Amino acid sequence: MDFTLKIWRQESQKAKGRFETYKITDISPDCSFLEMLDILNESLVNKLSHPVCFDHDCREGICGMCGLYINGHPHGPDSAITTCQLHMRKFKDGETITIEPWRAKPFPIIRDLVVDRTALDKIIQEGGYVSVTTGGVPDGNSILIPKHKADKAMDSASCIGCGACVAACKNASAMLFVSAKVSQLALLPQGKPEAATRVQNMVAKMDQLGFGNCTNTYACEAECPKEIKRSNIARMNREFILAKVASEEDLQQ
Amino acid sequence: MNTLSSKIPEGQLSEKWTRYKSSQKLVNPANKRKLDIIVVGTGLAGASAAASLGALGFNVKIFCISDSPRRAHSIAAQGGINAAKNYQNDGDSVDRLFFDTIKGGDYRAREANVYRLAEVSNSIIDQCVAQGVPFARDYSGMLDNRSFGGAQVSRTFYAKGQTGQQLLLGAYSALSKEIKAGTVKMYERREMMDLVVVDGRARGIITRNLQTGEIERWASHAVVIATGGYGNVYFLSTNAMNCNGSAAVQCFHKGAFFANPCFVQIHPTCIPVKGDYQSKLTLMSESLRNDGRIWVPKKIEDAQAIREGRLNPTDISEQDRDYYLERRYPAFGNLVPRDIASRAAKERCDAGYGVAPSGYGVYLDFKSAIERLGKDKVEARYGNLFQMYEKIVDVNPYENPMMIYPAVHYTMGGLWVDYELQTTIPGLFATGEANFSDHGANRLGASALMQGLADGYFILPYTIQNYLSDQIYQERISTQTEEFTQAENALRDKLETIMSIKGEKTVDTLQRELGHIMWEYVGMGRNAENLRKAIPMLRELRNEFWTNVRVTGDLTSMNPELEKAVRLADHIELSQIIAKDALQREESCGGHYREEFVTNEGEAKRDDDNYMFVAAWQYTGKDQEPIMHKEELKYEFINVQQRNYK
Amino acid sequence: MKLIQFASITKKIALAAFGLFLLLFLPVHLGINLCLLRDDGGEWYRNASHFMGTNYIVKVFEIVLLASVLLHICLAIYLTIENWLARPVRYKVRTKTKTPFMSRYMIWTGGIIACFLVLHFINFYFVKLDLVQGKYSASIEQVDKLFQQKAIKLQQGELNEKEQAALMAQYQAISQISPEKMDKSQKNMVNLTKEEVIQYCGEDFKHVEPDFYTMSKELFANKTYSLIYLVVFVVLGFHLYHAINSLAQTLGLSHRKYSPIIDWISVFYAVLVPLGFAIIPLWFMFVK
Ligand SMILES: Cc1cc2nc3c(=O)[nH]c(=O)nc-3n(C[C@H](O)[C@H](O)[C@H](O)COP(=O)(O)OP(=O)(O)OC[C@H]3O[C@@H](n4cnc5c(N)ncnc54)[C@H](O)[C@@H]3O)c2cc1C
Ligand code: HEM
Ligand code: SF4
Ligand code: FES
Repeated sequence: MDFTLKIWRQESQKAKGRFETYKITDISPDCSFLEMLDILNESLVNKLSHPVCFDHDCREGICGMCGLYINGHPHGPDSAITTCQLHMRKFKDGETITIEPWRAKPFPIIRDLVVDRTALDKIIQEGGYVSVTTGGVPDGNSILIPKHKADKAMDSASCIGCGACVAACKNASAMLFVSAKVSQLALLPQGKPEAATRVQNMVAKMDQLGFGNCTNTYACEAECPKEIKRSNIARMNREFILAKVASEEDLQQ
Repeated sequence: MNTLSSKIPEGQLSEKWTRYKSSQKLVNPANKRKLDIIVVGTGLAGASAAASLGALGFNVKIFCISDSPRRAHSIAAQGGINAAKNYQNDGDSVDRLFFDTIKGGDYRAREANVYRLAEVSNSIIDQCVAQGVPFARDYSGMLDNRSFGGAQVSRTFYAKGQTGQQLLLGAYSALSKEIKAGTVKMYERREMMDLVVVDGRARGIITRNLQTGEIERWASHAVVIATGGYGNVYFLSTNAMNCNGSAAVQCFHKGAFFANPCFVQIHPTCIPVKGDYQSKLTLMSESLRNDGRIWVPKKIEDAQAIREGRLNPTDISEQDRDYYLERRYPAFGNLVPRDIASRAAKERCDAGYGVAPSGYGVYLDFKSAIERLGKDKVEARYGNLFQMYEKIVDVNPYENPMMIYPAVHYTMGGLWVDYELQTTIPGLFATGEANFSDHGANRLGASALMQGLADGYFILPYTIQNYLSDQIYQERISTQTEEFTQAENALRDKLETIMSIKGEKTVDTLQRELGHIMWEYVGMGRNAENLRKAIPMLRELRNEFWTNVRVTGDLTSMNPELEKAVRLADHIELSQIIAKDALQREESCGGHYREEFVTNEGEAKRDDDNYMFVAAWQYTGKDQEPIMHKEELKYEFINVQQRNYK
Repeated sequence: MKLIQFASITKKIALAAFGLFLLLFLPVHLGINLCLLRDDGGEWYRNASHFMGTNYIVKVFEIVLLASVLLHICLAIYLTIENWLARPVRYKVRTKTKTPFMSRYMIWTGGIIACFLVLHFINFYFVKLDLVQGKYSASIEQVDKLFQQKAIKLQQGELNEKEQAALMAQYQAISQISPEKMDKSQKNMVNLTKEEVIQYCGEDFKHVEPDFYTMSKELFANKTYSLIYLVVFVVLGFHLYHAINSLAQTLGLSHRKYSPIIDWISVFYAVLVPLGFAIIPLWFMFVK
C-alpha cells in the first residue's frame, strides 16, 4: 500500500512547527501504524535527516505511551485501540494521512509528535491512591467486595493514562481520566475513607493545570482505547457533590 | 573458585528470613532523612521499592525512561501473580509454592531466596488489595484464583487480563503518594547512562535527559537497579520497545557480576512473526492454555496445505489433529511449563508440521472450550485477549483457532545479587527482573510479578538498611568529585563517538542483525557448534557498530536514534556473555536447551553433578575475556529430582 | 478573577442548576401561552398574565428567573472561553469523533436563544417594565370602579377645578369607546395605547396592563417574526435535548437502569416544549 503522510514537525517546545509531507510506498496491510512510521524513520535516517519523534513503548496497547492524532481521531480511525494497535489495513491504498500531536494547553509539545503528559501524573499525585504504606495491612479477604463492584472498579482502573480523552475533547478536558481513578477508588471499600478529599483535590489540580471544563460531549468515551465509560464522570460529579455537601472535609493544601 | 558469598543466614529454611530480619541492623528515623537512595526503574520492582523506602523516611530519587512511571514494562503482564494463600483449599502452602518454583526453575535457583519469596507472597496480595488493586472476585466477594502453567493448584490472583497493569498502578499510586509527600523525587524521561563508583561503593549515576540531551549527575548513598530484563537483545521479543539491559551492562562494566546470562525464557504463546517490518511480538497470555488446546495437523500434507492457504484449520477433523502436548505430557497436558511447551512447538515446526505461512506457528484452539463452557464464559475469561488477537491478526479466534509461536519473553539471568539483593559492588542493589532472580533456569508463570513486588515491598526495604546503617556518618555525597567528572566525560566521549561515525547502517538494521544472530545461534535450541559461530559474529557486529553505525540528529535534543544506539552497543556486549555462558553450560536445563544434552526420549538432560551452580561473570576490560565465578547451589531442604511433567 | 477559585465541577453544577430552573419555568410559560389558544378573546390568558404580573411570590420568582438566565449565560460564556483557552493550538484536521450532535454547539444554540431573548424581551417583557411602548388593556370593571370613586369624590366636593375638568374628559372618553376596542367577553378594552389607558382611567392611574394577546396577534401576523420565533424554537429544542441529558450527567445522575428514562424525558421534553411554543405562532399564522 502507498500513502502520503502529512506529519507535524516541531524541533522543540519553543520552535515553530509545520507540516511536512512524506510519501511512503510498499507498506504491508498487516503492518502496524507505528511500524509504518519506523519504516519512514529508517528511510529518513538513510537520507541523513532527523527521524520523526513519537512516543511508544509496549506496542500492545497497555502502557499508554503512544498517542497520535490521526486524520481527526486520537489513536486513529479504529475503535477501542491505541495507536500502536492500529494497522494499516484500516486505511485505503493511496490515502493521505495527517498525523498531529495531542493538542492541549497542559500537554506542551516536546518534539514533533511527542508531548509532555506529566500533568496526568500530577493529578494522580493529588490523591489517586489509598494512603497505605507498606506492611501492616489486613488479609486480602478480610473485606469482602461484591463481584459486580470489583468488576466495575476494574473497568475504571483499566485506564492507561494515554490522554486520548483530553486530545479528543473539544475542551481538552481530563474528566474521563480523572473520573476513572476517582471511580475506581470510590467503588472499593479501601478507597472510601479518603473519598471526600480525593475528589476535591484531584479536581482542583486538574483545573489548576489548565484542562478545560467538561461539556458532556463524550468524545472522550468515543475515543478511549480502553472504553472507559462516561458513567465514571457522572460518578465523579456525584462524589464531588457529596464531598462538598455532605462532608466536612476540605481541600488539602 | 567460589569467591561469592551469598550471605544466606543460618538456620532452618523457614526461619532464615525471620531470623535475618530480627538480627539485621536498622537505621533510626532521624538518620533516614540524611540518607539518599537512587532507584533506577519504575516497574514493579522499582516503584514498590521507592514507595516503601520513601515511606520509611529515606530520601529517594527515582528515574525512568518513559514519560511517566506508570509506563514501565511491568504494565504489560497479563496473566496474574502467585501467592500461597490457599484460599481455594486445594493443598497450597508456602512450602508447595517454594517447591514448585525451585522445580520450575530446574533446580538452578537459590533455596533460601526462593523460600523467602514464597513466604512473603501472601503479604503482597494483602498489600495490593489495601492499595485498591481490583483483583477478580467471585460471587461471594472473595478473591478469585486461576491456575497457571507449571502448577497443580490454583494460586494465581488476577485482575482480568491486566494483572501487571493493576499491580503496577498500585505501586505507582503508592509512589505518587510519596512524591506528593516529598520523600520521593521523580525524574522521568531520564536514562541512566553510567554508574558512579567511589572508593569501591556505588555512589551515584549519570543520566541523560531524553528531552533535552543534558547529561546530569546524581549522587546517593546507595543505588538500586530495577531496570527490568534484557530480552530485547533478541530484537523481536514480547518486551516493550524501551526494555533494555543497558543499565545492567553499565553496572557489569563497573564491576558488578552478571549471573546466568544464558537463562532466557521463551514464551510459548505469542503471535507469530509476520514480516520483516515487525518491531515486536505480542504475547497472548499464558492463561489461554487453561482452556485452549494446542495442536498441529497429524499429516504433513495437511500442514503444507494450510501453509499455502489451501486448507482451513477448521476443515481438519479431530482424528487428524495432533494435540502434541496432551500426547507427550498427559499429566500436565497443555499446562506444562513454558520452556517445555516452547520446545515442543519448535520440534513440531522443525519437523514440518508448522501452520503459519512461514512454517513457524501452531494452533491454540478454543473449540472444545466453547463447546464445554459456552461462548459467553469463554468471552468473559478471555474476551480482551481475543479482541487483541483479532485486532492484530484480523482473524476471529472464536471461529478459527489462534496461531501461536514461541518468542523471547523473560530473562532469568541478570545482575548477581546475594541474599540481601546486593550486587558485588557494595551499595549497588538489584531488584526485579534486573537481578538474576529467584527463578533459576526457568520462571513459572505469574512469578515475576511476585518477585518484583516481593523485592520492592518486603525485602529490599529491610536489607538495604543493613547496608545503610553504617553509612549514617557519610555526608551527602557530592557530584563534584573526580569520579563523577570522569564518568561524565567518558559518557560524552562515547556519545560523541557514536554521533561521529556517520556510517552506512541504521541502528534498526544492526539491531535486527543482532537479533538474528541471537535467535538463530543462541536461541531456543542451542549447540556448541552454533554458539562457537555466534561469538565471532557478535564480535564482528560490535566492530561494525563502532565503525559503521549511522545516527542522525544531535546530542542536545530529543533523539531516539541515539538512545537506541547506546542501548544496542550495550546489548552487543551483553550478547557475547550470553553466548559464552550458553557455551560453558554443557547441560540442558530450564530455558537453556542444548541439543547435545537430551535424554533418549528427547527431553532436556540436566547435569547436576557439574552444573549445579550460578555462573557469575566478571568484566575484566574491553576486549578481555570475562571471568566466570561459580556460586555452588546447595539444596539442603529439597530433594533434587528430574523435572517430570508427564 | 474570583470565579477561578470555584472548581470546574462547581461551575458546571451552577450552570446546570440555573439551567434546571429555566427548564422548570418553560412549561409554566408554555402553559400560560397555551391559554392564548382558547377562543375567549384572550380572557384566560389575560387572567393568567394578570396573576403572573401581580402576585408577589411570582414576582420573586421572576427575579430569580431573570438572574438564572443571566447567570446561566455568563457562566456558559465563561466556561466556554476557558474551554477554548485549554486548546490554544487547534488541530488541522477537524475532529471526526462521533459525538451527540447538539452537545458540540451548546454555546451557539444558547447564543441564538440569548439573542432571541433580547428580541423577545423587546417584544413583550420590556413592555411590562414600561421600557418599550406596547399595546395595553383595561377591564371595564376596573375603569368603572375608578370612575365611580372619582364621581363620589366629585359629589362630596373634594375635587378642584382642574380635577373636575379631567374627570369630564375621562367621562367623554369612556362614553366614546368604540366597540372594536372591546374584547369578545365585552369585559375588557384591548389594543389601547398608553395614552388611551390614561384617558380612560385617569391621570393618576399607574398600573397599566399590557395587552399581550393583541400584541401576539399582531406580532405573529408578521411572517418574519413568526419565522424567527419558529426557527428559535427548533434551536431551543436542540439546546434542551442535550441540556437535560447533560444536566443529569453533571448532577451525577447516572444509573444503568434509570438513565434510559432520563434519555426519554429529554427527548420528550425537547420535542414537546418547543413544539408547544411553536403552536402559538403557527396558530396565529394559519388558524386565526
Ligand atoms: C508481555 C508480558 C507479559 C507478562 N506477564 C506476566 C505475568 O502474567 N505474570 C508475571 O508474573 N510476569 C509476567 N511477565 C514478566 C513481568 O512483567 C516482568 O518480569 C516484570 O514486570 C519486570 O518488572 P521490573 O520492575 O523488574 O522491570 P520493568 O517493569 O521492566 O521496569 C523497568 C523500568 O526501568 C526503567 N529503565 C530501564 N532502563 C533504564 C535506564 N537505563 N535508565 C532509567 N530507567 C531505566 C524503565 O523505564 C522501567 O521503568 C510478563 C512479561 C511480558 C513481557
Ligand atoms: C430557555 C432557556 C434555556 C434553558 C432551559 C437552558 C437549559 C440548559 C441546561 C439544563 C443545561 C445543562 C447544564 C449542564 O449540563 O450542566 C444547559 C447548558 C448550557 N446552556 Fe442553556 N439553557 C437555556 C438558555 C441558554 C442560553 C440563553 C445560553 C446562552 C449562552 C445557554 C448556553 C448554554 C451552554 C453553553 C450550556 C453548556 C452546555 C454543556 O455544558 O454541555 N443556554 N442549558
Ligand atoms: S480515560 Fe481512556 S482515553 Fe483517557 S487516559 Fe484513560 S485510557 Fe486514555
Ligand atoms: S505503545 Fe504502549 S499503548 Fe501504544
